[in-house]
Amino acid sequence: MSETQRIALTVNGVRHEKDVEPRLLLADFLRETLGLTGTHLGCEHGVCGACTVLLNGDSVRSCLTFAAQLDGAEIETVESLGRVDQLNDLQQAFREHGALQCGFCTPGMLMTSIDLLNKYPLASDAEIREGLSGNLCRCTGYQHIVDALRAVVKARNGGAT
Amino acid sequence: MSDARPKLIGARVQRVEDPRFLAGVGRFTDDIKVAGLLHVAFRRSDEAHARIVSIDTDEAASKPGVVAVVTAQDIEDLVTPVRVESRMKNYNGTTNPVLAADKVRYVGEPVVAVIAESRYLAEDAAELVMIEFDTLGDVTDPEAAIEPGAPLLHEDNATNLIAERAFERGAVDEAFKNAAYSVGGCFRFRRKSPCAIENRTYLAEYDQGKRSLTLHATTQVPGLIRDTLAETLDMPGHKVRVVAPDVGGGFGGKASYYAEEVLVCALARKLGRPVKWTSDRMEDLVSTSQGFDEIVEAELALDSEGRFLALRADVTGDVGAYSIYPWTATVEPVQVVSFLPGPYRLANYRGRVRAVATAKTPLGPYRGVGRPISTFVMERLVDMAARKLDVDPAELRARNLVNEDEFPYKAGSGLIWDRSGFQECLAAARSSIGYDELRREQAAARAAGRWFGIGIASYAELTGIGSRIAAAPGMPINTGTETATVRIDSTGSVTATFGIASHGQGMETSLAQVVAEELGVRVEDVEVVHGDSDGQAHGTGTYASRSAVLAGGAATVSARAVREHVIEAASHLLEAAAADIEVAGGTISVVGTDRRMSFRELARAVYSEVGRLPREVRETIELEATKMYDPFFGTTTSSTHITVVEIDPETYGVEFRRYVVAEDCGRIINPLIVDGQVHGGVAQGIGAALFEEVVHDETGQVLTASFVDYVVPSAAEIPNVGVIHLETARPDNIGGFRGMGEGGTIGAPAAIANAVSDALAPLGIEITELPVTPERLFRLIEQARKNIEKTEA
Amino acid sequence: MKPPAFKYVAASSVEEAVSVLAEHEGDAKVIAGGQSLVPMLNFRLLSPAVLVDLNRIAGLDGVEENEGGLRIGALTRHRVLETSPLVEARFPVLNAAMQYVAHLAIRNRGTIGGSLSHADPAAELPTMALLLDAEIEVQGSGERRSIPAAAFFDGALMTVLEEDEIVTEIRLPAPPADEGWAFQEFARRSGDFGIAGVGVTLGRSGKIVSSVRIALLGVGQTPLRAAAAEAVLVGETPDADVIGAAVEAARDAAEPEDDLHGSADYRRHLVGVLARRTIETAWRRASGEAAEETK
Repeated sequence: MSETQRIALTVNGVRHEKDVEPRLLLADFLRETLGLTGTHLGCEHGVCGACTVLLNGDSVRSCLTFAAQLDGAEIETVESLGRVDQLNDLQQAFREHGALQCGFCTPGMLMTSIDLLNKYPLASDAEIREGLSGNLCRCTGYQHIVDALRAVVKARNGGAT
Repeated sequence: MSDARPKLIGARVQRVEDPRFLAGVGRFTDDIKVAGLLHVAFRRSDEAHARIVSIDTDEAASKPGVVAVVTAQDIEDLVTPVRVESRMKNYNGTTNPVLAADKVRYVGEPVVAVIAESRYLAEDAAELVMIEFDTLGDVTDPEAAIEPGAPLLHEDNATNLIAERAFERGAVDEAFKNAAYSVGGCFRFRRKSPCAIENRTYLAEYDQGKRSLTLHATTQVPGLIRDTLAETLDMPGHKVRVVAPDVGGGFGGKASYYAEEVLVCALARKLGRPVKWTSDRMEDLVSTSQGFDEIVEAELALDSEGRFLALRADVTGDVGAYSIYPWTATVEPVQVVSFLPGPYRLANYRGRVRAVATAKTPLGPYRGVGRPISTFVMERLVDMAARKLDVDPAELRARNLVNEDEFPYKAGSGLIWDRSGFQECLAAARSSIGYDELRREQAAARAAGRWFGIGIASYAELTGIGSRIAAAPGMPINTGTETATVRIDSTGSVTATFGIASHGQGMETSLAQVVAEELGVRVEDVEVVHGDSDGQAHGTGTYASRSAVLAGGAATVSARAVREHVIEAASHLLEAAAADIEVAGGTISVVGTDRRMSFRELARAVYSEVGRLPREVRETIELEATKMYDPFFGTTTSSTHITVVEIDPETYGVEFRRYVVAEDCGRIINPLIVDGQVHGGVAQGIGAALFEEVVHDETGQVLTASFVDYVVPSAAEIPNVGVIHLETARPDNIGGFRGMGEGGTIGAPAAIANAVSDALAPLGIEITELPVTPERLFRLIEQARKNIEKTEA
Repeated sequence: MKPPAFKYVAASSVEEAVSVLAEHEGDAKVIAGGQSLVPMLNFRLLSPAVLVDLNRIAGLDGVEENEGGLRIGALTRHRVLETSPLVEARFPVLNAAMQYVAHLAIRNRGTIGGSLSHADPAAELPTMALLLDAEIEVQGSGERRSIPAAAFFDGALMTVLEEDEIVTEIRLPAPPADEGWAFQEFARRSGDFGIAGVGVTLGRSGKIVSSVRIALLGVGQTPLRAAAAEAVLVGETPDADVIGAAVEAARDAAEPEDDLHGSADYRRHLVGVLARRTIETAWRRASGEAAEETK
């Protein structure tokens, strides 16, 4: 047992090797140690979903994970999705449908959406709303976010509903 | 000259803010990196009302990484506590400490600040601070708090009563005596917390060389904070800068002056290093200003034809431990009585309000302020009257809403409705939702034993208010003006600088649309600068649904002024009469010719190519204008919400079947943004009506200090909301805009309360308390069933 | 809300984990999914000296056929149970309950071993374990032992686990053929802990109930089996009177308490409502009728 833990992990395709204090939350590792501030903290108890990232392809709460646990892991954050001048289809859909206002919950919404699109058919608005129910937004009332996801599902199914 | 300019105002323009938020490269206050940053953690009071006997910080101060541990004594010479005054009669102010000195007055009040190299280390040390309290008497019930002999929260005041106010018109009691009908009740709206997803964060940097302070803050009101810090830190205003970077929502909770905000400034100055405090959610739920906490006893009198004769109400506002700066503790309770008569024709009115201090988190502005409560009460009374008279509730409203030919109409509290589509909104909502068909559907559902309810809420409010009307009467600052600077620089780029502070409203886009349309450029050509106290000599910020009207108005005037100068310069440069110059889409041209120039060329000619214009012309050309706009009065905004709910007759779960909003929104700048504001407001209104409540136990302990216990609705709890925009006659402000950021929270709780009552009408239940949770429904239904059994027995 | 400091051990075997726990005599805690533990650490409700990470232990996860029932490794994620064809085929009631568990991000990490060890009476998995007569295998410094679910939960957030014991495996005994089932839960929001919930499995023989199990969620210090309600139904044809009596007995079995989200009275009321709905639904399913829920 040591004071710090050596971890080697990949974040957005870039490999990092760091010594971390065991209690350092993944969210703080990303934001402070790596300077990737796109992942946000809204509650630090797993409810609001703003801190959601992908761990080995699965959406997880970065406020409930210790960086020390992640030796060998692959993390993807919102910064991996696109750039301001080249947004991916999900980000574009969010923009077209007005699915963000203050932007603070948005990274978590996007990362959750990616996992939902991978795992569920999202064949109805009810299913989309259920899937998003772990991400709180205080600005949009969710409707435009649902619209954006519905559009992405449709587009990815080749336009079929 | 034909106006070939594309119409940008009204266009569904994609927001310019979005790419950085979507790409995760927004810049929120906690994202800002500065060298040498210190972090603050607080020890906050866990007693509601207690004397501080002793504080021992020695062990905390000795922990690794701890730079300082401070109490009120340590910052006495660094910062002056703000004294919150009002010009209102019958107002007792409070002095608001930065750190509690001799006593604490609410659970969550900051007592000790630990400053360390990391937040983790600061919290470690904060745990070791030892505070000895001597518990004082309970001051948790607002009605008990003004009984003689109640323990006093502020010993300098003789009472826990912060303020009292009354509005009266006509002969109210006589009208009640002679009325054919009256309905009444005691209504309770329980406390909420705004819960922006971004918690409050303040980062102060003090430049030792220049002796200047920069505060990066999650604030809706940077100019206001700058003005206040200059006083409380005793620094010249030009040495204080407050910058709101990207801000993650506010809803009023970030619109006041906070202890933590000035403290980090004082500490940065003293310690010679930048200092940051980021609230966590637990802190947010006990220290960010709260809202919607009133008890209202109200009655409505009607004649035999169902016309409203008189309204009287007594309101007790539970305003928490301190009068908040700058709004004062009166901002919400007084609005309840000033807006209570609603959009109705009502000759006789008396509304009395008392704002009472209790040992709870201070109340501040929260989206809608007093209007969600006033609308809840009035709309419940209207539905109760409809039931009593056996008249359809929509019909009863139509009979009593102010008609178009009655504008301007002076409401019972003295507010003037200039003009707005009260009747049109009701009609449009009815039509859109298929109201008559719904009543038939309801009859069939009832026959089948289903609890199916339809609820309507009509309201009016004032938005974009100018200097003639204060958000809170007698409050110490002016909120009625905003200033805009439109500038074309030497590269031909357009910058528009404002004192407002967008925090989700998309002002970087909508204001760019206004400037672009008025100036004759494209939206993407306009860079909107906001959220910085250095931007304007005076500006307050974004709150009270004012930015479109005030900043949009100022932007309009400034852009038009610059446009005149563009045309003047161009007429010389393109050798044409001013009347033949057209400015559109960033190009300046002479009508009917191919002579044209870009803004870049014009700017170069004016600023750099000195011989291009005659000297006497060049010296009068100003490609920059700064104009202030004061609409003086406010703009009436109105809407009708109609919702359909179904209640499970066994579990008492409430589900939405339909939700429609018809709003009179004047000239829309960006429909995507406007719809989003309505959706978001309705979602918070649903939260207020069904889910959210700040709960205290009898000693003032907060029981809802996490997102597990303070229940914010998710996407699964919110229905689709149909929004109908009506453009009735344009309001009388420069842009013809209406503010509409708060309407959702104003109308939704009332509409839902009415729908739930309607669903439970067969049981004779009237909803008078919000939130109406499944537990509350259970109690009401059990009681109603017992009552029915008794009558049948 | 940052967690307090702790030493970190990534155990590579159950034995290693157990020995660290034993060494620290209650001042060490295990972390599996962390979805219940880490919030408590962030709130500083717990300050263990050592955190023993179980996630590197090979072979502790997985869903396998076992004598007609299932063997589920303690480190099996909720998401795996949610999507397991074996679970769906053999224990559709468990499959149904998984739909109520929190949200996807929580299900991606949370584990069955963690959920049972955390023992929240308003969580779905402890109630399912009790309903399905699970055998919970635990390993400590002493002998490996097998504890029936009925003896595992000791109170709210309390189990009979010794300081040095961890759950290694959960065995669900083979269900009777053609068992009917139902699970319903009432919560404030989608994914919240239930205010009350009822799970039922029911075997049918001709016109009568041959076997039945009824478990209650959120209405006691632990999940509860409504044994008296079960007794009312066994051997009977579940007509309105019989179901009514069973529902009464289920209500009586509940030991709810008041809290912020619901009073004891309301929870007991919900038990009655949900018991009737789940018993009726389970009976119809046992009869091979369409799987539609009574709502």
